[in-house]
Amino acid sequence: MAMEMRLPVARKPLSESLGRETKKHLVVPGDTITTDTGFMRGHGTYMGEEKLIASVAGSVERVNKLVCVKALKTRYNGEVGDIVVGRITEVQQKRWKVETNSRLDSVLLLSSMNLPGGELRRRSAEDELAMRGFLQEGDLISAEVQAVFSDGAVSLHTRSLKYGKLGQGVLVRVSPSLVKRQKTHFHDLPCGASVILGNNGFVWIYPTPEHKEEDAGGFIANLEPVSLADREVISRLRNCIVSLATQRMMLYDTSILYCYEASLPHQIKDILKPEIMEEIVMETRQRLLEQEG
Amino acid sequence: MKETPLSNCERRFLLRAIEEKKRLDGRQTYDYRNIKISFGTDYGCCTVELGKTRVLGQVSCELVSPKLNRATEGILFFNLELSQMAAPAFEPGRQSDLLVKLNRLLERCLRNSKCIDTESLCVVAGEKVWQIRVDLHLLNHDGNIIDAASIAAIVALCHFRRPDVSVQGDEVTLYTLEERDPVPLSIHHMPICVSFAFFQQGTYLLVDPNEREERVMDGLLVIAMNKHREICTIQSSGGIMLLKDQVLRCSKIAGVKVAEITELIQKALANDQKVRKEGGKFGFAESIANQRITAFRMEKAPIDTSDVEEKAEEIISEAEPPSEVVSKPVLWTPGTAQIGEGIENSWGDLEDSEKEDEDEGGSDEAIILDSIKMDTGEVSNIGSQDAPIVLSDSEEEEMIILEPDKNPKKIRTQTISATQVKAPSKKPVKKRKKKRAAN
Repeated sequence: MAMEMRLPVARKPLSESLGRETKKHLVVPGDTITTDTGFMRGHGTYMGEEKLIASVAGSVERVNKLVCVKALKTRYNGEVGDIVVGRITEVQQKRWKVETNSRLDSVLLLSSMNLPGGELRRRSAEDELAMRGFLQEGDLISAEVQAVFSDGAVSLHTRSLKYGKLGQGVLVRVSPSLVKRQKTHFHDLPCGASVILGNNGFVWIYPTPEHKEEDAGGFIANLEPVSLADREVISRLRNCIVSLATQRMMLYDTSILYCYEASLPHQIKDILKPEIMEEIVMETRQRLLEQEG
Repeated sequence: MKETPLSNCERRFLLRAIEEKKRLDGRQTYDYRNIKISFGTDYGCCTVELGKTRVLGQVSCELVSPKLNRATEGILFFNLELSQMAAPAFEPGRQSDLLVKLNRLLERCLRNSKCIDTESLCVVAGEKVWQIRVDLHLLNHDGNIIDAASIAAIVALCHFRRPDVSVQGDEVTLYTLEERDPVPLSIHHMPICVSFAFFQQGTYLLVDPNEREERVMDGLLVIAMNKHREICTIQSSGGIMLLKDQVLRCSKIAGVKVAEITELIQKALANDQKVRKEGGKFGFAESIANQRITAFRMEKAPIDTSDVEEKAEEIISEAEPPSEVVSKPVLWTPGTAQIGEGIENSWGDLEDSEKEDEDEGGSDEAIILDSIKMDTGEVSNIGSQDAPIVLSDSEEEEMIILEPDKNPKKIRTQTISATQVKAPSKKPVKKRKKKRAAN
């Protein structure tokens, strides 16, 4: 077995090599954002002694008169309409508890779940007893946020055929602040795999299903063995996403795709090496900048 | 924070590995992790590291009035705390079940086994007795808290010295540490807990489970024993059915393990005793090694230079005189000639030189070493070697062809690595091209 050994080298931060036109205004808790009282307070700020003070560590964002601080490393804060990927931790009476990398476990009510076959009826006692047959502890699901409780807990629903239990694939956990908000979070990448970018930082990579299963509604997990080519694509995507997350780049379909293409000359296992990671991410950044400007 | 649940994949992986008698950290079924015991400057303070699980133990004493129904016995008080830094799941209000279980087990192991002679803690019967308090703090949770805690408790108790006290009639004199040397506690034997984790309804067992293995285990059997093979406490939790011969087998294994651990403890205590007596430095600051990462710095290795002169003279006298170097100008084109050894003009082949530039970084140090070898006429060997071997496009590992007396020649692949092995391949390639051009 060949072994790879390297000497430790002090790494320089990547942002130095690619200058940024507008420097982000970074603050830590307790920093004054502005002494101008004309601004409205957004998330992550509070008013103290006539000035606006930050309460989280992150970058200041300003939209007209609204000032808020977007935290760089945070637990997921639910917003209505977000797509999340979560893992079932408990099966309770008439609901499931889902772990979504937030401060409190999210809740998936039995009534917010599609019945197999897409029937519309009132959930009966038999449905309650059969809950474990649908989703067990340890299962992964994709769902949408229906409501947010006052304490911050999130209520989910899988009321569409594209949500439901997830089958074979790879889960990558990144910080929620790195997932860009977009119109759709379900992408079928042209490289041969599909990806679900959960707003809570859980990214699910899975082989593209050949034909859309309309009637199953996400209940039947496809357990056929995945081909080697598909598995290689998925592994490469996973390593690309991990390298983008390590370099703190926003994750969306274009950035993932560019990163995948930039990584093709390298072997899959080499993508995670620091030098190659830097090279690939720099190339991705350049392509994205070209595409924008 | 609630701890993140283990995914189904991980659980299945761990269980399958255990079925194949493999553990994630490479240990055997009955192997313990490395145990490291270090002492603080005060008597009775120690840290035990069982792999990554760390427990800090501190013993203190106080003179109090005894319990009414036990007027001639001292009081022992044990307290184990799960600090929040041990695991994210440990929160001030949230750890009750585990905490109660561990505390109960520790008390049964140390108090009920009568390892400490409580009668000797009595100063004045009915009025003044010593209260010995053992505080254990879990600093890092990586599985098997109970073993580490029991070792820390017994080591701290053995290490502890209480102030000397003398009774003359009605007068009780408590000597300070300066007046008289403190006195150790009288300990009969050292009970140590050994944990066995069971998987698949008791089919497989592991000694000293780490945190991942604890999460997937079905049940736990804890046996507290001393080195005289006396069982002090035995507890089975998790509700699995254990057979009689399984329990007997575990107790035999525990006997062996306890003997090893007791020996380790004795050695550590003796070491610390020696250091203190000799006046050397002791305490946590000395026992924690300085961990440093140096970037690209070679450690200075001491070399014996006492006989360098003789060796040098020997080499000079035995070596042949250097060959006469006659500089022959090589005529490239009318008007352009080259005298002496120089770097070949490589304007023509751009791709190769770019690749070589990438690898140049690591080879700078090695070129000095190699140039000596190069100039002694090994060029002819290399000239006879064939064209480079074709790169294979598959994702297999790099192949290194090592020839015993010659320089290792490496197939150029797309990876960049700063290993010394790669460096020597630079020179032969360049030399070969030059020879071709010259001929």
